[in-house]
Amino acid sequence: MLKSGAKSKLHQPRAQSRKALTSNKPEVVRAYQCGLNRRAFLKQTGAFTLFASLLATKPVAVAADLPSNVGQDEQNVQFDDDAKIILTQVQMHLFPDDGDGPSANDLNAFAYLSWALTDPENQAEGDQEFIVKGVSWLQDLSQKTHGGGFMQLTKTEQERLLHQIARSRAGENWLSMLLYYLLEALTLDPVYGGNVGGIGWQWLAHQPGYPQPVVGKTYRDFQ
Amino acid sequence: MNTHNFDVCIVGSGVGGAPIAYELAAAGFRVVVLEKGKWHKESDFFKDENLGRHRIFRSQFQDERHVLEEPNDDGSWSSDTTSQFWGGNIVGGASNFMSAYFHRLKPQDFKLLSTYGAIDGANIVDWPMSYDELEPYYAKVEQLVGVSGKVVSHPHLEPRSTPDYPFPPTAEHPVAHRFDKACNKLGFHPLPMARGILSIPHNGRRSCEYSGYCGSYGCHSGAKASARAALLDLAVKNGQCQVITQAKVYRLNTNDQGNVTSAAYFDDEGKPQQITAKVFVVACYAIESARLLLASTSQKHPKGIGNQHDQVGKNLHCCAGGTGHGVFKLDKLTPGEAQQLKMRGPFFNRALQDWYEINDKRIAEQPIKGGTLDFVFDPPSPTSEANSLKWQDGNLLWGSKLKQRIKSHFTQSKDFKFEVFCDWLPNDDCYVSLAENELDKWQQPIAKVKAGFHPHDIKVAQYLVDKGVEVMRAMGADEAWGNVFTSPTSNLVAGGCRFGLDPKSSVLDKNCKVHDVDNLYVSDGSFMPNGGSVTPTMTIYANAFRVADQIIQRLK
Repeated sequence: MLKSGAKSKLHQPRAQSRKALTSNKPEVVRAYQCGLNRRAFLKQTGAFTLFASLLATKPVAVAADLPSNVGQDEQNVQFDDDAKIILTQVQMHLFPDDGDGPSANDLNAFAYLSWALTDPENQAEGDQEFIVKGVSWLQDLSQKTHGGGFMQLTKTEQERLLHQIARSRAGENWLSMLLYYLLEALTLDPVYGGNVGGIGWQWLAHQPGYPQPVVGKTYRDFQ
Repeated sequence: MNTHNFDVCIVGSGVGGAPIAYELAAAGFRVVVLEKGKWHKESDFFKDENLGRHRIFRSQFQDERHVLEEPNDDGSWSSDTTSQFWGGNIVGGASNFMSAYFHRLKPQDFKLLSTYGAIDGANIVDWPMSYDELEPYYAKVEQLVGVSGKVVSHPHLEPRSTPDYPFPPTAEHPVAHRFDKACNKLGFHPLPMARGILSIPHNGRRSCEYSGYCGSYGCHSGAKASARAALLDLAVKNGQCQVITQAKVYRLNTNDQGNVTSAAYFDDEGKPQQITAKVFVVACYAIESARLLLASTSQKHPKGIGNQHDQVGKNLHCCAGGTGHGVFKLDKLTPGEAQQLKMRGPFFNRALQDWYEINDKRIAEQPIKGGTLDFVFDPPSPTSEANSLKWQDGNLLWGSKLKQRIKSHFTQSKDFKFEVFCDWLPNDDCYVSLAENELDKWQQPIAKVKAGFHPHDIKVAQYLVDKGVEVMRAMGADEAWGNVFTSPTSNLVAGGCRFGLDPKSSVLDKNCKVHDVDNLYVSDGSFMPNGGSVTPTMTIYANAFRVADQIIQRLK
């Protein structure tokens, strides 16, 4: 019966489970499934301090970076051009065009991310701000270590930089959040903008259910 | 304030309330059902993972939640707020999203104390009714609500008044044949599992479409025996039953005699309303039913309705047990076998009840109550699965390594699951009370669930989990494992207002009427002194039909 899909954007679950928790038995009770909001979760897991310190130590011009339509549902979040290019490139590192399966671009992952961030819950949890801050952080680190912006680096240097930031909890959280949305673009129904034409499902030989959601009957239409 | 006069007012439209509405309306009485959620129907139930991920048909954490206290290893108790117990904020309740394993209880579940004796620290009692008294109602549920299955002889088969289920079994996945062979070799008794899912059309409902998206998803065909699809649609159609949706009942008002006069609720605009009726029935899930009674204090009921002996909320229980998996690597099978195992649509539908009573001196000197193993498929949730794969050995994976891991998970192996159900022994540390300083969006105190478990449950569960792993290995699984759990199930919670003959140790009488109130019944799973070693849904349905008969007799 019940147990709906929990969201674990940042951290790995307390214990790994092969299956989502959608059946009668609680294989693992994850923080989000317990209904904790992220703030509570971060506090509980001790990550809050790290996250907060990141915010404190990265004095980026957050307010100026925020698009004017934040909070307006059904409109994509607007990133500035630099952020858009960097995020698209990072997504291609996370899910590359390697000859086996769709790449992030094939999945329409950036457009999906821009749409998914308009979800009220995702807005309330500050995902957009966190992603924007992460871009600034990545740029700062790139300048500091290579004397140029992330897009000026070779792909190998970019990959190395991503591994470098993954060594900090906050950097790992940032990548984990981008992966969270990217993997939604891989396997959610195409009606949400990712998984174009079911390309992700085809690669994974995943058989969708029937009937599939249609425009006008997506989850947001029930909210 | 609007006041309407009804014969019966039912709080909650799920499996505990809908049979009352259906039967009373059919008998010609004026019935009103107050349901907190909205009315959704088959055409709303798309196979969309996002509906579950965003808890679309369930209460939102920010609106209402519970405090959950669980024991830590060091003897202290954790305390969190949670929305995990909300199974369905919708007409028909959580039954819209159930997997619908429709086992009956067995005779010994009604007399646990006299059959197996007392266990220190467990509040085990015999029920005030026998299996035989409920049996006709089990048969009624099977026919009216619609249960598909096939009766086969086995050592723990319960007595039946009908030779077989009224509907043939749902279509079976090829793995069921592999399961049967393995069990026969081991000397076990494989059972086709009864499901509250129509295999053939019935009462205007279509049969199963076998999309493979069943448990946790709403049913598009109406085949799933939700309280709405099976009963409320028909009850409303006959004109005697009205369902008021988005009605949050927050209090039952009582008169000087202590009897209920009205149900007070907030409507869809948050405005207070009330309903008057001759008889009131509470059926809003065990935790919430206890909360409503506890919150309805008055001069006559200073500690809450039915709580003169501090029994309301006590002896809550979940389903104890565990889960296990068997993973088959497809490249080790013939192409034909691999193709068969990859099939999606038909059900696994197998159960084992060989150890419903465990008679094994390695675990206990005397026979003890055991449980059931259900072999099932997890509902598909590819996005959650893919996201769980991004972590490996504590590190975040990405790039081609992640892609290959995801691809391998989805295409190179097939995972089959079993679920173990055994008694969550009622005990003094498992109960519902009102939380202090925590209010829901209607400014009402929320429920606090203390979920202590008895160590005996772990012993029984481990025994059964080991059997499940043994079966998976015998089936040829490349990997097989299982775990026992002590966390409360988020669904399948029952008890809290158990029935009994002694008002000092129970809340309800044999007919599920509150002992010291003449016109108030509780007809959800709250009445159960113990949950049995199966999912309790079938029994809650059956008992609600029994209670309906009692109310009809009374009103005639």
